[in-house]
Amino acid sequence: MSTTRTRRKNGQQRVAFHERLEKSDLIEIYRRLWFARLFDEALYDAKKKGRLRRGNVYGSRGQEAIMVGTTYPLRPDDFVSPIHRDMPVFVFRGMTVEQVMCQVWGKAEAPTRGKDSWSHMGDMNLGIVHSTSMLGSTIAVACGVLWAQRLDGRRDRVLVAYTGEGATATGPFHEGLNFAAVHKLPLIVVVENNQYAYSTPVELEVPTKTVAERALGYGIPGYSIDGNDFNAVYDTMCEALDHARAGNGPVIIECVTYRLQGHADHDETRARKYRPVEEIELWEKRDPLVRYRQYLLSTGQFTEAELPEPPLDIKEQIERAIVYAISSPDPEPHTALEDIYDESAGVSL
Amino acid sequence: MREVTFLEAIRLARGEEMERDPNVFLIGEDIGRMGGAFGVTEGFYEHFGPDRVVDSPISETAIIAVCVGAAAAGKRGVAEMQFMDFISYGFDQVVNVAGTYLYRSGGKTPIPIVVRGPSGGYIGGSLYHSQQFEAWFFHTPGLKVVQPAFPDDAYGLMKAAIRDNNPVVFYEHKHLYRRIKGPIPEAHEDYIVKLGSARVRRYGEDITVVTYGAMVHFVLEAAQHLEKEGISLEVIDLRTIKPLDMKTILQSVRKTSKVLIVYEAPKTGGVGAEISARITEQAFEWLDAPIMRVAAKDAFVPFAEPLEKFVLPSVDDIVFAARELVAY
Repeated sequence: MSTTRTRRKNGQQRVAFHERLEKSDLIEIYRRLWFARLFDEALYDAKKKGRLRRGNVYGSRGQEAIMVGTTYPLRPDDFVSPIHRDMPVFVFRGMTVEQVMCQVWGKAEAPTRGKDSWSHMGDMNLGIVHSTSMLGSTIAVACGVLWAQRLDGRRDRVLVAYTGEGATATGPFHEGLNFAAVHKLPLIVVVENNQYAYSTPVELEVPTKTVAERALGYGIPGYSIDGNDFNAVYDTMCEALDHARAGNGPVIIECVTYRLQGHADHDETRARKYRPVEEIELWEKRDPLVRYRQYLLSTGQFTEAELPEPPLDIKEQIERAIVYAISSPDPEPHTALEDIYDESAGVSL
Repeated sequence: MREVTFLEAIRLARGEEMERDPNVFLIGEDIGRMGGAFGVTEGFYEHFGPDRVVDSPISETAIIAVCVGAAAAGKRGVAEMQFMDFISYGFDQVVNVAGTYLYRSGGKTPIPIVVRGPSGGYIGGSLYHSQQFEAWFFHTPGLKVVQPAFPDDAYGLMKAAIRDNNPVVFYEHKHLYRRIKGPIPEAHEDYIVKLGSARVRRYGEDITVVTYGAMVHFVLEAAQHLEKEGISLEVIDLRTIKPLDMKTILQSVRKTSKVLIVYEAPKTGGVGAEISARITEQAFEWLDAPIMRVAAKDAFVPFAEPLEKFVLPSVDDIVFAARELVAY
């Protein structure tokens, strides 16, 4: 079964942007895919073994090609707003693994200083826009970040807003995309269609055959692609970036993938009840890492030994960051009352 | 000094802030070519252009969200709710997105936005054009809530709200827009009214009346009636509802020992309940009578005149409550 359902104008062939990548890029992409996989494995393991005792771990196993493929072609001055299954994106866009782990462990050094959990962090200096638990809401906020660029005469900076197929049913998703389309803002909405919003299957969230069809209502391009195929994600992203940077407005990219795990680590048992086992087995076979490795070997540029499974140094890098976070200081209780207001402007008593 | 209406004071304050700071922009429904449903933005579109005076689709969520995102990127957006009732559409943006932003950014990303618009009743606006739901935002950390009663305060508070680094919900009582006139300072004076400061609008001896918005005018009218009966009200115009200026309130309570709180919103769970609780906690020994509240009945604001009059507080309600308190 092919999961590639690309909507294209005039039936023209997509440019194979991925064929223009250098060998050094290919290795870096391979390593990033593995970073994403190992990050997920390390945190599931930490939770299971009691090293991580608080908060949930939201798995991203199987969605690695989306994170890497959508960020690799970005410029340093572009924006992203990752969601809970995109933790590695924070690292790809400039946060340290230590910072991210401090966030997961709720430490004082975390970007939120222990105030918020998991992916609800950002850093405007790195162009990482903070999202909330209400995934759709960030699509609308993204319009504001882009409006600020317009006021500064920077219309070519793109914002990539990640969301789930379930969040496309929310009001802010619609209001945000409608606004972006009316004003032709360079917003790329990456919908990680992993088929389940918690337990609710996509057919109870979206009435159309593809999520990408929602684009028709905004008069903008909508792509529905195989989210487990790095090259498909990368090529589509490059095309969308050209479109957005040229001032043509927003784009929806639906990356069809599958949530191999539960909604979070606490959901593993029930997640086996609300999803057919055959479905999980089918998608296990579509592992984006295996597929990308096969692709790399097929190019003839690599030997098996050059593509280790996994690259052990990455595993060690992640473990070092976990050790760092665990030994890093907890926030002082009184800091819970800090950062509620910013009085530096001096217009308040 | 310039003699202007309440509405004109708000219009001028925003225009002057836009001249002063190129980061300030406005967004709302019908505010561009039309100049806003009440004309609070008249002439701005022609002067500042479509990027700084944004005619938005009917999307309260997006209107507020655009201000939030732009604020994260260094701008100062002023969002207009065509009627404050419609803010419920954008509630999540105000409460969960703007209100929490500084907190979840570890103190690094302040959100200087103003969400403003006409509120309040007494105009036959019925259910969705009359409400005073400031208590929603009064309850939320991270926000400031403002409601002026006079042109000079509206002017100075609007400037302070735009310059403030936090999300400010700014209530403009539409009943005051063209009815209330008064002097405001000249532009070059750079006048602001600090957020969080109440103002004693009338000094008195017998009862401290804590109030805000259109009710300030009602209370001042009641005070004139009561003066003839020998009852003297001290009238505190809160101006900023959040943060509360407890210092000014307590100072007055220690003088009069009797407190009446007057607000236009439904009585239950309103701002008056919190003020009452704080006075009890902080100045119980100074009180000679229970703290009383005059507020709207716990209903929606209905359309037909006898119904609206019955639900919303009146000058008579204030007079009766004051008499009761004095007699206690």
